[in-house]
Amino acid sequence: MTTSSTRGLLQATGLCLAFGGVKAVEDFSFDAKPGEIVGIIGPNGAGKTTVFNLITGVYAPDKGSVVLDGIELTGWRQDAIARQGIGRTFQNIRLFKGLNVLENVMTASDPYAPYNFFSAILALPAKRAADRQAAQKAREYLDLVGLAGMEDARPESLPYGLQRKLELARALAIQPKVILLDEPAAGLNPSEVREFIDLVRRLHERFNFTIVFIEHRMEVVMNLSHKLFVLSFGKLLASGEPEAVRRNPEVIEAYIGEEE
Amino acid sequence: MLQNIFFGLSLGAVYSLVAVGFALVFNILKFSNFSHGGVMSFTAYAGYLAYIWIFDGRISGSVMFLAVVLTAAVAGAITAVGIERVGFRRLRRNQAPVIYYFISSITLGILLENIITIFASSNFYSYPVFFSSKNIEILGMSFSVADFVTLLFSAAALAILLFVLYRTKLGLAVRTVSFDVNTASLMGIDADRVVMATFAMSGALGGISGVFLGMNYSLYPQLGQLVVKGFIASVIGGLGNITGAVIGALLLGIVEVALIGMVGSGWMPACVFVIMLVFLLVRPRGIAGVIVQEKA
Repeated sequence: MTTSSTRGLLQATGLCLAFGGVKAVEDFSFDAKPGEIVGIIGPNGAGKTTVFNLITGVYAPDKGSVVLDGIELTGWRQDAIARQGIGRTFQNIRLFKGLNVLENVMTASDPYAPYNFFSAILALPAKRAADRQAAQKAREYLDLVGLAGMEDARPESLPYGLQRKLELARALAIQPKVILLDEPAAGLNPSEVREFIDLVRRLHERFNFTIVFIEHRMEVVMNLSHKLFVLSFGKLLASGEPEAVRRNPEVIEAYIGEEE
Repeated sequence: MLQNIFFGLSLGAVYSLVAVGFALVFNILKFSNFSHGGVMSFTAYAGYLAYIWIFDGRISGSVMFLAVVLTAAVAGAITAVGIERVGFRRLRRNQAPVIYYFISSITLGILLENIITIFASSNFYSYPVFFSSKNIEILGMSFSVADFVTLLFSAAALAILLFVLYRTKLGLAVRTVSFDVNTASLMGIDADRVVMATFAMSGALGGISGVFLGMNYSLYPQLGQLVVKGFIASVIGGLGNITGAVIGALLLGIVEVALIGMVGSGWMPACVFVIMLVFLLVRPRGIAGVIVQEKA
């Protein structure tokens, strides 16, 4: 079910953010075309996650702008940006621990069944049908990432690899145009990494969304990305085709002394 | 004996409404919302005003009771939402420390009490007698109709609340925000609306409990200070834990009635506070802490 990619054009221009005197991100620009898979790499502390936080509205940039499909999102609230179609996962998994697996996914689909206090109380038939549909949808997403049958489990009782998949299912549930993956392969063993790469490929083929990911593992980076941006000390160091970037002497230097 | 337990349960049922209204807000914003007391006084008076201005002479008995309770519940929801807007939203925006919320809530509670005193003076008013003072005889024991209705009505209100919390998307959103508001908004949940809905639910419960308290103790501006009972029940049951709050409140009701029998009504409140202190020191998670812990 490939649709012609016209949605999911993400453009970040001249992003700047300072925490006190520390410039976390300085004049960083990048773009992702509809359906493109873009990797952001860089040494630890380079500001990669901060870039994600700027895109998703956790921080407002001091300068610069974020534009999705021609709509400027700079300064919007987090929930509004998410509803506009930017989903994300987190470096240190952030699942809702008090909710079960199915509910974790359903939370994210919430905006599509707007809640209203009185209809919730009266539980109108239409409302209940919408709730059932949301649960059905959530099951489908769980099925897609390979978590079928674990709907009632508590997220913290799942093995690490499955928690990562659950975060992915939750991100799918907001029906994203762009999905941001923050070190999605961190903590996975080699066979899980290969499985994860396949999963991302499958999802990308099916939904054809734009993917922007941060990753340290070269296997993931080289296998998945169409395009790479290298961030070092908050600034853009290099960008382009993955192979070219990997051979770039500046990039190699930035990584000297870094593990992988 | 059984009669006393029943009376304790009916008292505990009112406390449970207070405690749950209290726990709802604690759950989501992690502070003890003492403005809930102000809401209870306010709504008790709102119900009374509706009675003398609108309903008196038109309806009576249990219909009157329902009308007054519904008015109070709606007034409570509106007041609580207003309080959130005035007292807490700005603090949330600035991610202020929890102690600010706490102080703001106490301030707002006292403010409401003072406003009521200005308009209603500190006189006592009383609701009409909604239910016949006759007792129901079951198995040779007599139970008062009012206690019966209190118990049933509180149970129904709590059942509706639990249904909303655990079976609807609004409830899911409330639970989600209570676990992690930041991640929730990154998943597209509008935290402002969820917090507002939570305050509305809490306020509606406050309204219902306000009327019951007014029926039991008559109306005076400091009526809402009985929020302390809800607080004690919350501590016994585990702060922020809804089921715990209900269990704690029912226990509190029974213990109070038992204590009145044993040490008299003068010593009873002191004993209750000692029990609460013991809980705070020995088992701050409350009795439900065990249950929740084991499930996780």
